[in-house]
Amino acid sequence: MKKEKRDGTGKKMTLIVPIVLIFCILATFVFYVAGKISKEMSAAAVDNLTESLDLIRGTIEAILGKEAEFQKLIAAEIETMEDPEEFIQSYNRNETMVKLSLVPAGETEGVSNTGEVLHVEDLDFSAGKTIEDLPVSESYLNHMGAWAYTMKCPVFQKNGEAATLYIEYIYESFDKMLPNRFYNGNASLYLMDGDNERLVLKPKGMGEREAGHVNLEDFYRANRILEEEVKKNVTESVKAGKNVMFYHDIQKKKSLIYMWAVNDGSIYLIGYVPIEAIQQEGSAVNQNIFIVVSVMLVAFLICCALYFLTEKQQKKIRREQEQEREIHNRQLAEALQAAQVASKSKTMFLSNMSHDIRTPMNAILGFTTLLAKDVDHPEKVREYTKKIAASGKHLLSLINDVLDVSKIESGKVVLTMAEFTLNNMVSSVDAIIRPAAKAKNQQFEVTVTGVKNECLVGDETRMNQILINLLSNAVKYTQEGGKIWFRIIGMEQRSSQYEHIRIEVEDNGYGMTPEYLETIFDAFTRAENSTTNKVQGTGLGMAITKNIVELMGGTIQVVSEVEKGTLFTVELELRIPEEKVDEQFWKKYEISRILVVDDEEDICKNVQILMDDTGVVVDASLSGEEGISLVEQACEERNPYHVILLDWKMPKMDGIETAKRIRSIVSEHIPILFLTAYDWEDLKEEAVQAGIDGFLAKPFFVSALKEKILEVHAELDDEKIIENSGNSSLEGYHFLVAEDNEINAEILAQLLELEGASCEIAEDGQATLEQFKNAAPGKFDAILMDVQMPNMNGYETTKAIRALNRQDAEIVPIIAMTANAFAEDVRDALDAGMNAHIAKPVDMDLLKKTVSQYIERNKK
Amino acid sequence: MRKWIYKISAVFLAGAIAAAAGACGPNSSTLEKNLADEKDSNMKTVLLFAPMEKSDPDNENISRTAFDITVGMAEEKLGVTVEYRTYTAENYQEKTYDEVTLDRVRNDMDDFYLLNPDTIQILGEEGELVDLSVLDSAKNLREVVKTANTVDGKLVSIPQEVVVYGLFVNKDMFDKYNLELPDTPEDMLECCRVFKENGIETPIGANRWWLENFVFAQAYADLYNGENTEQEIAALNSGEAKYSDYMRPGFEYLKELMEKGYIDAEKAYTYEAIEGEGPDFLAQKTPIVMAYWGAANADTAYGKPDFNMQVIGFPSKRGQMPVVSITGFSVSVNAEHMEDTMNVLDVMLSDEALQVYTETNKVISPSKNVQVDCIEALKPLNDRVNDNVYVLGSNANMKVEQWGNTCNIVSKLLNGASVEECMAEFDRLQEESLKEE
Repeated sequence: MKKEKRDGTGKKMTLIVPIVLIFCILATFVFYVAGKISKEMSAAAVDNLTESLDLIRGTIEAILGKEAEFQKLIAAEIETMEDPEEFIQSYNRNETMVKLSLVPAGETEGVSNTGEVLHVEDLDFSAGKTIEDLPVSESYLNHMGAWAYTMKCPVFQKNGEAATLYIEYIYESFDKMLPNRFYNGNASLYLMDGDNERLVLKPKGMGEREAGHVNLEDFYRANRILEEEVKKNVTESVKAGKNVMFYHDIQKKKSLIYMWAVNDGSIYLIGYVPIEAIQQEGSAVNQNIFIVVSVMLVAFLICCALYFLTEKQQKKIRREQEQEREIHNRQLAEALQAAQVASKSKTMFLSNMSHDIRTPMNAILGFTTLLAKDVDHPEKVREYTKKIAASGKHLLSLINDVLDVSKIESGKVVLTMAEFTLNNMVSSVDAIIRPAAKAKNQQFEVTVTGVKNECLVGDETRMNQILINLLSNAVKYTQEGGKIWFRIIGMEQRSSQYEHIRIEVEDNGYGMTPEYLETIFDAFTRAENSTTNKVQGTGLGMAITKNIVELMGGTIQVVSEVEKGTLFTVELELRIPEEKVDEQFWKKYEISRILVVDDEEDICKNVQILMDDTGVVVDASLSGEEGISLVEQACEERNPYHVILLDWKMPKMDGIETAKRIRSIVSEHIPILFLTAYDWEDLKEEAVQAGIDGFLAKPFFVSALKEKILEVHAELDDEKIIENSGNSSLEGYHFLVAEDNEINAEILAQLLELEGASCEIAEDGQATLEQFKNAAPGKFDAILMDVQMPNMNGYETTKAIRALNRQDAEIVPIIAMTANAFAEDVRDALDAGMNAHIAKPVDMDLLKKTVSQYIERNKK
Repeated sequence: MRKWIYKISAVFLAGAIAAAAGACGPNSSTLEKNLADEKDSNMKTVLLFAPMEKSDPDNENISRTAFDITVGMAEEKLGVTVEYRTYTAENYQEKTYDEVTLDRVRNDMDDFYLLNPDTIQILGEEGELVDLSVLDSAKNLREVVKTANTVDGKLVSIPQEVVVYGLFVNKDMFDKYNLELPDTPEDMLECCRVFKENGIETPIGANRWWLENFVFAQAYADLYNGENTEQEIAALNSGEAKYSDYMRPGFEYLKELMEKGYIDAEKAYTYEAIEGEGPDFLAQKTPIVMAYWGAANADTAYGKPDFNMQVIGFPSKRGQMPVVSITGFSVSVNAEHMEDTMNVLDVMLSDEALQVYTETNKVISPSKNVQVDCIEALKPLNDRVNDNVYVLGSNANMKVEQWGNTCNIVSKLLNGASVEECMAEFDRLQEESLKEE
């Protein structure tokens, strides 16, 4: 990697170095060209300025010359006049010549056109400057407040010089002649008197007002020309009437200062121009060169940037592709590994299954052989068949588990959501587990605490499956005389629509090793090979349990320690049905107050919580004595309790004694019930004598109480009657059995015969339909329908039968009898028009119960 | 990414083609227009004659800048060029700016002028100046400005600011010697005595132009702040009262200051305003100078002192007294570019222009519609002016011109004349004015 990187940097450097080199060469060249252009343009600019100044100087000199010539002409004219003074006085000033004066020869005063007297001594001709041979005075501020100069011209008459003509000119007359915006207004132009160094004409307009404008010294001050050497040179040159031009910074800009002698230095044209102003063209050319070069440079850099950007992106894409490939490879390797593990697991599973299936099968076949041999010994036959049946059942559960796992794993399990009560669930589980625990001499303790809603919505069957799996494991893996706790705990609700419950199954049994804990929920794996495991099982139970819990949106956790025990914790959120509690029930039986007498406070509270929504007031007392006094008080207040729940074992006064005392106070109509975890049968006799009406098993459930109240009121519902009456045998019934498997058909026929019933066998769906069609109405009491059959399957056959145009076609009970034993199969059977579903292998008790229920109903 | 590059390239190429096409196409303006004609026909100019004091070339003079801004506004709005002409005397022996302006106005050399109060009055009386009350901007003027600039019923001048003169004092130096700022002439003498005793050679820095403010403060404190202003002026104009009687205390006071060495008369006689006495004040060698309001603003003569500077009125028996003098713009009756000149002035004196001017210079505006806050140092002076406590340094209603004449007579005092001689000069001027009547 590092090497690659170094290579990349090297490549870049080999590109960058020549680029930089080329740019250096280009920059040097551009600088050289720009410098050359600058120099040439600078020289040209100075030439240009010199020419301009020469031109202005020439113009001023020409004007001065013309003025002198004109003055000579006037003087010549005056020579011919008789009264020259009158001429002078009548002269009207013009823009240039503002004052005409004539001073007679030998006098110091003369007349002027302005009316003033001219005093010759006021004018200073001492500098000796002349224009066209006419002496010209030093500059002065005239009567108009303007800077002026005077030229004098002799007037000759026959006798020689008769007078002198003085004419005053003002510098402002040059104003119009000077360039209006010299170098675009950047250059300044003053006229300076060469002798007294006064500035006699100044630039107009804005922008020049910071410059000195009084005299040359002021000009130096304002423009910061402070070097004595420079000043000295300038003064010498001005005195000599020479032109001066030099570079100096003015207002922080490099400038050219010029002093151009006009008329041999009697007047100076002075001023300055910033270099940048006279070199505008040069600067413009250089600027343009720089702009072009800059644009090219920017364009080139953009190209470079784009190139590098593209290159970078390409690299990024390549890197991403490589990363992607790596990920793919890793995923493939992982998949391969997973496949290998799965394959290994399945091989092991198959090996285990083979063993597990063979073991009961071996028993069945072995006992079958023994059965054939000992057919004459009924005792032995009974013993063998019992063992064969046990092995068969084990085999069946094995098959059910395998099917369940495969189904869950392929995502085909659908939860059947329906309302159920915790009471039913707990009592059904209790009915299965308690005998098993009792058989191993284990203590089995059930507690329900903090559950607010007893009636919930969920898949009761699957819930049962979870609980039975966990509890049967607990029984299985706990030594004899051990203890098993089954707790249902109501947790804090996260939503008002869901009951949050925690189910804990704890035992103090063998426990599990940490290694086994890691794989306990994995299907097809077992911690211990079943061949060495003394406990039989498929090893799939926990995988099924976990899958079902997760399917329900819950979680399952396990904590275990070898030789100490195991705790399984399942957390579930179950929906609370919208119509929660039938308050009408309590009103109907006029129950509004209940008393609970129990020395355990938790139990009292639990009853109160569960009864909270019913609108029934629950009072609790923790001892028999207190309970009796409450009952007495209630009677006195004529607000008696309508139901009284008593614990059996309480300190001081036990339940029996309390019941007796209470019964002596309250009427016989008030039910007094025992709420206890002890076996009712052991207490029944004593309890009834004490006036107790019935027994409620702990934990307390509202539904159980309701049932008990119903019982006490001797009002059993229809269903109960049917259930009770349905216990009768199949004696005398005639069935149509659809079964394609001859052995199965024969077994069923035999079993039915044993129960006193008869049947006709049809080998497929088509035959079943035909047989039913051909039979007289009412011939068959019910049809037992296999589902998977050739020609026409069970569903199609049922539909066809139901579609027949005969009276009994609609009502004849059709019961599915199939190895398709899942919930969906049940639904499909019902959808096809069957009345019930019984899974194979056939449980004769279930069959009797189901069949009689439907036949009875039809009869009614 | 590629699309993006293509798009940018396309736009760039299109731009390049358009630019190239533009550069190569014929320049229609050069073919269709004769630029020479256009240049010639656009030359509208107006000539302004204005004083320009020398200034540090590295330092922008904001007073000028503000003035330039208003000129720029007029140039832009009207399409004219205002050309400046100027004059500054090389030394005190040369003609003064006021003398030159008198000559130039009388000879119709320029279109409009920035005039001092004395020249306004002289030229107004000679009928050389145009009545500016016709300008729209004249309608916004404060009454005091109109009064001070009206000659023979004509408004002959309008200023851009009301110039207020005051004493600029170095408060740190006063504090150093535990001195209160002076209210009365006596206070002032005491302060000077203490300064002198503590080795300060010249406690009051003076120039040849502005010492007259001491005289005005003492002469007219009662006249302008009493209840008989009009009657007292009428009495002066009719000769019933004498100017010399008003002026005498001030002149005697100046004489005393000179004799005690609190003012260096010789130097003051030759010093130009600020240029002469300014450096010593800034170097904290002189604790007191006098100047106009604007000099205290940033970037001007006394804008950035290294000490705590305060501007107060001149001492008088009515306490610190600001002296108000109004310079202004006037138009020559024979202005060559009369119409353009009037238009330029109208813009320069409009509320909009005066707002800019006043904000830039932080001065008192002549327009009653324009008001801005002043800087901290000027607060004492500003408070007095806002309380209508001040004297006028020039008043066109007085037959004897005040600002110029008093300045000249103070010059004589500086040059050694006695107080009596100075008073005689006032009496002579009053007599002349009465004769003219």
